[in-house]
Amino acid sequence: MTILEAKGITKRFPGVCALNSVDIAFEPGEVHCIVGENGAGKSTLIKCLTGVYTADEGQISIAQKSVEDDPLLFNRVAYVPQEIDLFSYMTVAENLFMPFDRAGIDGTISQKKLCEKAVPVLQRLGMTIKPDMLVRDIPVSQQQLLQIARATAFEDYDVLMLDEPTTSLTVKDTEHLFSIIEKLKSEGKAIIFISHKLDEVFRIGDCVSVFCNGEKVAYSRLADVDVSWVVVKMTGRSINEKEVFYSDNVSNDVLLKVNHLTGDLFSDVSFTLHKGEILGFAGLVGAGRSELMQAIFGYLPVYQGSVEFGKKPWKYGNTHYAVESGMFYLPEERRSQGILPELSVRSNISVNTLNQVMGNAGVSVPKERNLVKTAIDTYEIKAASMEQKIKFLSGGNQQKTIIGRSMIANPKLLIFDEPTKGIDVKTKTDIYRLMKRIAEEHGIGIILISSEMDEILRCSNRVIAMYNGRIAGEFSSSASKEEIMHSIFGLEENVEVAANE
Amino acid sequence: MNNTNTTAVKSNPIGTLFKSITKNSVMLSGIVLVLMIIVATVFSPYFLTIFNLQSLLRDIAFIGMVAVAQSLLLLIGELDLSVGKIATLSGVLCGLMMTVGKINPFISMLCGLLVGTFFGFVNGILITKLNLNSMVATIGMQSVYAGITLVITKGKAITGIPSQIFFLGKGSLFTIPVPFYFFVIVLAAILWFALRSKTGRYVYAIGNNREASKIIGIKVNSIRVLLYSIVGLVSALAGILYVARLGTAQAAIGNNWPMNSIAACVIGGILLTGGVGSPLGAMIGASIICLISNVIVLFGVNVYWQEAVSGIVVVLAIALPSAMTILQSKKRQK
Repeated sequence: MTILEAKGITKRFPGVCALNSVDIAFEPGEVHCIVGENGAGKSTLIKCLTGVYTADEGQISIAQKSVEDDPLLFNRVAYVPQEIDLFSYMTVAENLFMPFDRAGIDGTISQKKLCEKAVPVLQRLGMTIKPDMLVRDIPVSQQQLLQIARATAFEDYDVLMLDEPTTSLTVKDTEHLFSIIEKLKSEGKAIIFISHKLDEVFRIGDCVSVFCNGEKVAYSRLADVDVSWVVVKMTGRSINEKEVFYSDNVSNDVLLKVNHLTGDLFSDVSFTLHKGEILGFAGLVGAGRSELMQAIFGYLPVYQGSVEFGKKPWKYGNTHYAVESGMFYLPEERRSQGILPELSVRSNISVNTLNQVMGNAGVSVPKERNLVKTAIDTYEIKAASMEQKIKFLSGGNQQKTIIGRSMIANPKLLIFDEPTKGIDVKTKTDIYRLMKRIAEEHGIGIILISSEMDEILRCSNRVIAMYNGRIAGEFSSSASKEEIMHSIFGLEENVEVAANE
Repeated sequence: MNNTNTTAVKSNPIGTLFKSITKNSVMLSGIVLVLMIIVATVFSPYFLTIFNLQSLLRDIAFIGMVAVAQSLLLLIGELDLSVGKIATLSGVLCGLMMTVGKINPFISMLCGLLVGTFFGFVNGILITKLNLNSMVATIGMQSVYAGITLVITKGKAITGIPSQIFFLGKGSLFTIPVPFYFFVIVLAAILWFALRSKTGRYVYAIGNNREASKIIGIKVNSIRVLLYSIVGLVSALAGILYVARLGTAQAAIGNNWPMNSIAACVIGGILLTGGVGSPLGAMIGASIICLISNVIVLFGVNVYWQEAVSGIVVVLAIALPSAMTILQSKKRQK
């Protein structure tokens, strides 16, 4: 008897069809896994199924009743988000029963009564923490379990939706989580398990739905298929013969050499980068790629290992030194780490290169305008004028502004972190072409971090796959998407150590 | 907030003027200032007398100096509440050197400036190295500086300041009070620093986005320390000139400077969150604040009411820009 069912769900956003006529049904007492690449439509589906979004077309019914008639039915879908969103300065018990109205607690809040109420809920999940502890004092794994406890505290749910629940868990904690899932399953709850980790999907799941480009492309009992079937379905159509953007001018000179580098979220990473080369870093969100690059750049700490840049030893933890030496980091979070929102395009571009435009009495604005004009023309930045505030530019043009800012400072190495995040297809191609040109014409080394497999494969001369903070494989540009996927999902046991040419 | 849509605006000259005024907060506060001057001139026969204008300019010089320096910190989203007590302590130390130490008054004043700069530097080091909140840290430091002042002076005013420096505080040159010349020099220097120097550009970058500034390779913490030192230097200058104005060095100097300097910046359109505004706005804001207290006296407001009334006017002046923004966004929604 189906408990949660969606029929013909379609959800469109301006310019994109995020979900295209999806049918999906969830049965009680079953673990239903949902897999797909980033942007495949998983999040949109979740939001439709939990009532955050209203689908443009299609029907959702819970326990055979349409949610259009009774939106309160969404309360029967318990959702555990990927990120931990607990109140860290409140106790475990308080977190469990927030909001208090729903828990039937009125008037004065008695900590003692709350704690008494919390004990059975925690016991049910085999949690050992005390209910009067502050959330910030308990381990991350317990916080993750607490989120599940909170979602299930009232026992009035039929469907439990877990979004990437194991990203912050150790192997042992994961096993504990799985035993809880088994228990809930035996109680007749429907479990929806969303994960990038395919080994876990096969370990815990009963059936799987694969998403690609907003469509549900496959469904199967997991007993009937293997990992490679899922990977093939997930990557969808093989790469179409689109233009590729490798650098055709790779020099033999080594630009950057990283030896056994260890930092906060990565360990023992070694690789080399040549002048004029585009080196792709593939991996899942949280694989440690951004952290690795930010540590090399000097924004995050390095604990062990060494870096040589242009055959010279490197100074750590000093972004000023990095930029002076010609290493630039173009951040993934453009809004919070890239742009200077209230300043003009002009100031945003020239901020790295004020030395070039000094006049007799400080910064010479006419000289600055000339320099900025060249950058705007060269990097095809579309702005009403160079005095326009950068926050009013589109994401693509903000990205080009940041590229222009770095380029006029005569860089030797550019680190692009998700350069096309939130950028439309046409502009994406512009940026790929720009990267290729930069590498070929100026002999600049480029490191490209991207979660989009197509992007990595179309732009990189070589690809390094990272999993869990370590290098999980190195591939040439002719490698297949499936091979790399295996590595970034951590499926290959024998890690190929990057061979230094 | 979000006005990315670029729908064509109907061409209405008054509307366009209104819009450009509300967009430019310096112009807006400038207009408020002019209106207040007109009102004062029309309603009080004493406003445009030489004596009154001199005393007004002298007030503006002190608050203005501190406000213009303070604006640099507001531009990076921080503030210094110890400006008044840095001024007091520098003034007192300088006064002691002249009187008890019998040191040349001008060398004493130079030392006073150095001491003030050092206090600012200490503020900056504490805040950057220990990663403290600037407001909390400088509230603490202002108590420290005030305490040291009390220990040194035992609560008494230092008298016997050599009369040759009185000219710097009390005197006038071409009928303009001497402190006002100092103010103009400070204003010009800080305007150049903020708008034309390389470091000034970095100040705006830091105020806009501190993380991005680090990634751009700006030495964020060094610049922060530099700004606190500048604020210390200018506060000490104001404090020493005030000693010359009073003829004595005493603990009560600069009590209302922290609040007045910050209010001046906000009235002048500098955002407390940083990155937006100009030191010029701080100058206009300081003029407005001094004008308010001047006019209140001229209009013969009851002494007990003066503080409340000037407070209300300051709040109104601060509220004006945001009221205009709210009005505009409502208009747009229609």
